[in-house]
Amino acid sequence: MFGCIYVPDFPVQAALLHESQEQALALLGGPDSLLKVVACNKAARSAGIRIGVTKLQAEACGIELRKRVPADEEAAQAVLIDCAFNFSPRVEATSPGAIIFDLAGAERLLGNDHAIAAGVLNQVTSRGFNCNVSVAANPDAAYCAAKGFKGITLIDEGDEAWHLSALPVKVLDPEPEVLDIFTAWGVKNLRSLAALPTIQITERLGQYGLHLQQLAQGAVTRELVPFDLPGLFQEREELEEPIELLEPLCFIINRLLSRLLDRLLERSLATDRIEIDLDLEVHTDREIDSLPAGSSRITFPRTIKVPVPVQDARVLFKLIQLDLAAHPPFAPVKKISIEAIPARIRYTQAGLFQRLSPEPAELEVAMARIRADFGEVDTQGRGRVGFISMADSHRPDDFQVGRSPAKEIIQDKSLAPANPLLRFRPVIPARVETSPANIPVSVCFLRKRAPVTAASGPWRRGGEWWDSKNKWLRDEWDLQLEVGGRPVEYRIYHDLSTGQWFVEGIYD
Amino acid sequence: MFTAEVIRAQVEKRIPGALTIYEPQTPELIPTGIAAIDQKIGGIPKCGLSQVCAPAGINSGRTTLLMSLLAQATGKKEEFCAVVDAIDCFDPESASRMGVCFSRLLWARCGDRGLKALERSFRAADILIQNGGFGLIVLNLSYIEEKLIRKIPHTTWFCFARKIERTSTAFVVLLAHSAAQSCAALTLHLGHAGALWEGSETVSYSRQISKIEFEFEIGRTRTRKPAQSVTTYFTARYLRT
Repeated sequence: MFGCIYVPDFPVQAALLHESQEQALALLGGPDSLLKVVACNKAARSAGIRIGVTKLQAEACGIELRKRVPADEEAAQAVLIDCAFNFSPRVEATSPGAIIFDLAGAERLLGNDHAIAAGVLNQVTSRGFNCNVSVAANPDAAYCAAKGFKGITLIDEGDEAWHLSALPVKVLDPEPEVLDIFTAWGVKNLRSLAALPTIQITERLGQYGLHLQQLAQGAVTRELVPFDLPGLFQEREELEEPIELLEPLCFIINRLLSRLLDRLLERSLATDRIEIDLDLEVHTDREIDSLPAGSSRITFPRTIKVPVPVQDARVLFKLIQLDLAAHPPFAPVKKISIEAIPARIRYTQAGLFQRLSPEPAELEVAMARIRADFGEVDTQGRGRVGFISMADSHRPDDFQVGRSPAKEIIQDKSLAPANPLLRFRPVIPARVETSPANIPVSVCFLRKRAPVTAASGPWRRGGEWWDSKNKWLRDEWDLQLEVGGRPVEYRIYHDLSTGQWFVEGIYD
Repeated sequence: MFTAEVIRAQVEKRIPGALTIYEPQTPELIPTGIAAIDQKIGGIPKCGLSQVCAPAGINSGRTTLLMSLLAQATGKKEEFCAVVDAIDCFDPESASRMGVCFSRLLWARCGDRGLKALERSFRAADILIQNGGFGLIVLNLSYIEEKLIRKIPHTTWFCFARKIERTSTAFVVLLAHSAAQSCAALTLHLGHAGALWEGSETVSYSRQISKIEFEFEIGRTRTRKPAQSVTTYFTARYLRT
């Protein structure tokens, strides 16, 4: 058996997905100079709107008019596909607003056909759609029944022709010229079409006519074209009034994110990357260099990454909130788009004797919170919070701080002892007096002069001599300075490229 | 006739453990890797606040102790550790040579100075404690002025001590002078004893620091009593390569 979900006036229902489906709405399409109504709902039709009327004529009816947004329809179609996947692993996205799914073997798991159809209808209705659901022995009969009959329709095997007989020919979506021919012949419903002699209809309308007649008889059998996973996990919302403050923006983002995570959960998926695109409404009096000529909107993209795939909307929302607080949009937000990149959940079994470690997603939130306080990066572009990775270089103090642990490099233990240094960051400029043999005799730094009581050096270090911009060369000295009457061991160095002296740290 | 046993039985029937003397469990210790210190105190206690006090501007051995402790915790003990660095003075190069495993070390470097750095570092430490899962959290307040450290209310130390009690984390604070007082489960005072230079005094390039000797004194400990407040020494060896 095959089930079918059909959403009448799909473009309009997609546009009104998170609003009341009862309100009259017509969607406009075509070139801006000649906008025409391309879709409308029942309430709009009652108000006198017809497909094909111009914007000017539609405005006279006094109903809401909107421009058709293909992205809304894609998101709505994805929701329908998700619903179908909850009942069957084989799903076909037949057309916008129509989904056919295979129910072979589902009765053992989900109950009889009526229970399945009721379940599907409930789920699709809970997502904000008004839809029809049908179950039939072949996909096309299910499609015609869902398109033609309201609510739930169940067709037993062999009864297709009888059930479909009352439906108008239009449910088969024939080509306009063929429909004209049927009208001229007086064929108005599927019963009339099914009763026509097969040979004569083939002589006049060819194989296409024969196919239409077989559809009317409910006798076409075919294989489904399965929808390929993964789908698009994206939610969008266009706001009536642009939002300037972060709090209301986060409120909407939280709602969209919860919806996305629900969809991921339904497919037992998680996400490790969230991409947010905020369409900003930039006023013409503000100077934005990157703004394309003639456009009043620019996109503000943000990407949130987590080290492991997560399903917890709370964790992701906190990360988004902290990210937006650190990088707020510079203009009011008119449209929000959130996309979750799906990833498989990683199941790991903790060892019995394994030490406790922070939960990766929670740690990411903690790091983001500290980052919001400490800042993202220092003056050299190195992270402020994270895991250390040593650079493959001999340059002193050359490291990176990343968000996830780097691959451990096994240190050569023969280098020990370690000479533990308390490093001054940034290094302290110093004035050094030297003897005729170029050995430091006194060091002035931090407004203090300290005589040198013991000196070791120079220890010359250099590197990247092949690169004129990054080359470095210096003489290091280990000095014992008398500071406040006490001997203290410092490391200082003489930058040979600039001739300046610096105090690098204290042996501690 | 109510005997003590009857009264005890009746009370404990309603409130179990009401008349039992609370004996805190002996905390797990993380060895510092410095034999002289481990011999005296066994290591840094978990579920407690430890303070390492060393004056700024001298070779006190606090960095040696910090890195050795991190090497022990991240290496042999396989603990997940965090360093909240208020003055951004941690040297990864030295830590790497000491054997610190960077894949189990989270480093938070504060870019500010003064009171702001102090406030933010405490906040970061609090976030990490609340996050849980760390075996060791080090708050490095070395070189933060003593007058600023004195501004920290005693309740802050008390709060941290109570929070740590409920976790299995060792919380170590490096600072210039003892500030946590009775909130600390362990107080160590470090100081400089002297440095040994080897080589000819007249030829600078033949000379080098051979070792620096540090002194330490146990100011307070809950793990091994009575606390031995005698000055003991440990050394760090140096070699120019």
